Amino acid sequence: MSDAALLEIRGLGAGYGAVPVLFGIDLVVNAGEIVTLVGSNGAGKTTTLRAISRLIDATGTLNFAGEDILSHTPEQVFAAGLVQVPEGRQLFPAMSVEDNLRMGTYRRRDRAAIPASFEQVYGLFPILAERRRQLAGNLSGGEQQMCALARALMAAPKLLVVDEMSLGLAPVIVDQLLEVLATIRKQGVTVLLVEQDVFAAFSVADRGYVMETGRIVHAGPTAELREDPAVRGAYLGMEAAT
Amino acid sequence: MSAAADAIAPATAPVLDARDLTKRFQGLVSVNAVSFTLAKSEILGLIGPNGAGKTTLINMISGALAPSAGELWFEGRRIDGVPAYQRAHLGIGRTFQVMKPFPRLTVLENVAVGALFGFHGGIRSMKEAREAARQCVEFTGLARRIDQSADALGGPDRKRLELAKALAMRPRLLLLDEVMAGLTPVEVDEVVDVIAKIRDSGVTIIVIEHVIKAIRRLSDRILVLHHGEKIAEGDPATVLGDQRVIEAYLGTRRQ
Amino acid sequence: MRPWLTLAIIAVAAVLLALLPLTGDAVWIQFGINALLLATCAQAWNILGGFTGYVSFGNSVFYGLGTYGTAAAMTQLGWLFPVGLALGAGAAMVLALLLGIPILRLRGPYFAIATLGLSAAMAAVVSNIDAVGANIGLILPLTRADGMFYELALALLLACTLTVAWLARSRFGSGLVAIREDEDAAASMGVDTTRYKVIALVLSALFTAIAGGIHAYWITFINPASAFDPTLNVQMVIFAVFGGPGTVLGPVVGAFILSAIYEVLASWISTAAAFLFGLVIVLAVIFTPRGLADIFGGVRRHGAAYLLQNIRENRL
Repeated sequence: MSDAALLEIRGLGAGYGAVPVLFGIDLVVNAGEIVTLVGSNGAGKTTTLRAISRLIDATGTLNFAGEDILSHTPEQVFAAGLVQVPEGRQLFPAMSVEDNLRMGTYRRRDRAAIPASFEQVYGLFPILAERRRQLAGNLSGGEQQMCALARALMAAPKLLVVDEMSLGLAPVIVDQLLEVLATIRKQGVTVLLVEQDVFAAFSVADRGYVMETGRIVHAGPTAELREDPAVRGAYLGMEAAT
Repeated sequence: MSAAADAIAPATAPVLDARDLTKRFQGLVSVNAVSFTLAKSEILGLIGPNGAGKTTLINMISGALAPSAGELWFEGRRIDGVPAYQRAHLGIGRTFQVMKPFPRLTVLENVAVGALFGFHGGIRSMKEAREAARQCVEFTGLARRIDQSADALGGPDRKRLELAKALAMRPRLLLLDEVMAGLTPVEVDEVVDVIAKIRDSGVTIIVIEHVIKAIRRLSDRILVLHHGEKIAEGDPATVLGDQRVIEAYLGTRRQ
Repeated sequence: MRPWLTLAIIAVAAVLLALLPLTGDAVWIQFGINALLLATCAQAWNILGGFTGYVSFGNSVFYGLGTYGTAAAMTQLGWLFPVGLALGAGAAMVLALLLGIPILRLRGPYFAIATLGLSAAMAAVVSNIDAVGANIGLILPLTRADGMFYELALALLLACTLTVAWLARSRFGSGLVAIREDEDAAASMGVDTTRYKVIALVLSALFTAIAGGIHAYWITFINPASAFDPTLNVQMVIFAVFGGPGTVLGPVVGAFILSAIYEVLASWISTAAAFLFGLVIVLAVIFTPRGLADIFGGVRRHGAAYLLQNIRENRL
């Protein structure tokens, strides 16, 4: 086991009831990286994230920051510093932006450092600073995604797991969010990005894993994956010519 | 409807004629005097940032929302006061961005509702309706799930179901709200082909999408909304190269 | 369930039940009349509550109107029983039509709350009308013919159940179910939701009112409190939901089983009958949250594990 591996998954199996969905997933995220997991719908990406967060039963090896988390509860995984931004954002629509952000600090022990976190987050997302008192439900889709990301950052995560960030967002907004991910990586946050928009994912991630029907079928630096004909044919579609 | 509203329009009347459609919510103007027309079998791409008013505009066309101002004409008849279910009978069908399946009914039963109540009031015979529904289910690639409960379907299959339900209504105008969200590039290509086939059968279509390559391939014309206003309209190449559109929506990263 | 199987079960059950009075056992026949009328009310509720998804806690207002319409027609106007029934049913349907349009605009819990007060309001109105006996009530002519009332009640239940069976396979029924599953989507697909909901309410009112009318003539004494009995509202809902809302046989089976359980409990342990009955309901909700009809399907497919899954799903 490498010392730098923040998240280490080996031989992960999981499913729903009698239906197995994952068949031995191997995936590693090193501290300071942005790693992306891509694949079609039904490939098992969300199931993998649920297994990592311990929302479903799983078998295999699951280590985070040197600890075995396979028998953790979801709350314990969160407390260990593995924070997810779920698909669909799941904000509290009737609470203000600022209150939503504050909810992200719910389990933090270092209360004194929270104002600094607010500064960091408002620095990354100036529009949230402008709209801090507005109800989260009234934000546009892009702003909501920013709020969800910001809330996760308020928990001072070691690993940020982002699920389908680009869904339903304007390209220009997706660009902004990708830049934010690059910035927070410089600030010391490691990111695991699950994405449908393979272009967007490859443009910001260092390494990628491609998943198909519950198995990892391609893995490597994104610069290589982008050129791999098998990946281009299956995932980059007609735009592979670019 | 009044005799004046039923007045004969010239044979070249557009399928859809939106005149200064406006929607206000408690002081916030969500759609501001948007006008456009649609010819038969045209595909109009409707793009713009979230909150630009795209879904609100579609809601006013389908009858889910009443406009605060403006007029809406469909096939020569004024319809802005007509309730949603009657617009379905006139031939307007839609999918919902936040999908609305009938959760405890099977795929076939879901789609059959469209066949039973759609164009011209739908099919009266249950048997015929089921048969028509079966064809729509097969067309959208859901045949192997036809007897499964709708709430057991995964994301892409739910999108297929939304489309099948709308198709079963035999619409003349089809409003598609982000049917491609969350699909991989290859899956997007498949859906583009399906939509083109639908258009070829004589249906006029409005497509709301964020997947630019799909919009580029499908649309005869593109309309761009930003903060509720039309900021560009025209053929895809021109609109997607328009500087205002790039700044407001597209960004500079190659899609 | 295949439609022919449902109809076969209905036919066999109808014949068997029709033969019961031949046993001559007065207790059984009386229990039968009550159970059959309650089953009709549950089945009628099922049309609006089970199929259309509008949970009414005020259907007893139609029962009361049927009761009073029949009683008033027979005592004050001297009309014959069938004509009286028609008057009661007519009054209930008119109320359903007039009230339905505004009240069915409310959704979910708001609709349920709005219906709560209906029965009490009507009872108050009726108790102020001297022409129908105000608070004292009315006494109908006595007819000792429990066998006849039994067969009448059975015929009514049969008519109501056959209506629901037709509804379950018809275009109209598909529209109702679509409204239940997602009313906005249903409207966007062409279902005239207002008209369909009102028709469902009127049908519900019709059968409930006739049940009230038969009950009135059988019991021969009515007053506002008994005619607009509020516990009837809850009984209908429990019976239908326990048996399986949105199914053809569910509410009937639920009504028979729960009525029988209550009778047995009442005769064994009369003081604690209500308490134990409540316990039965709680257990039913835990193990069969979607009704008995759902259980049969579930146990057949997944065995006893299905019951355990229900417990886990409810986090008990």
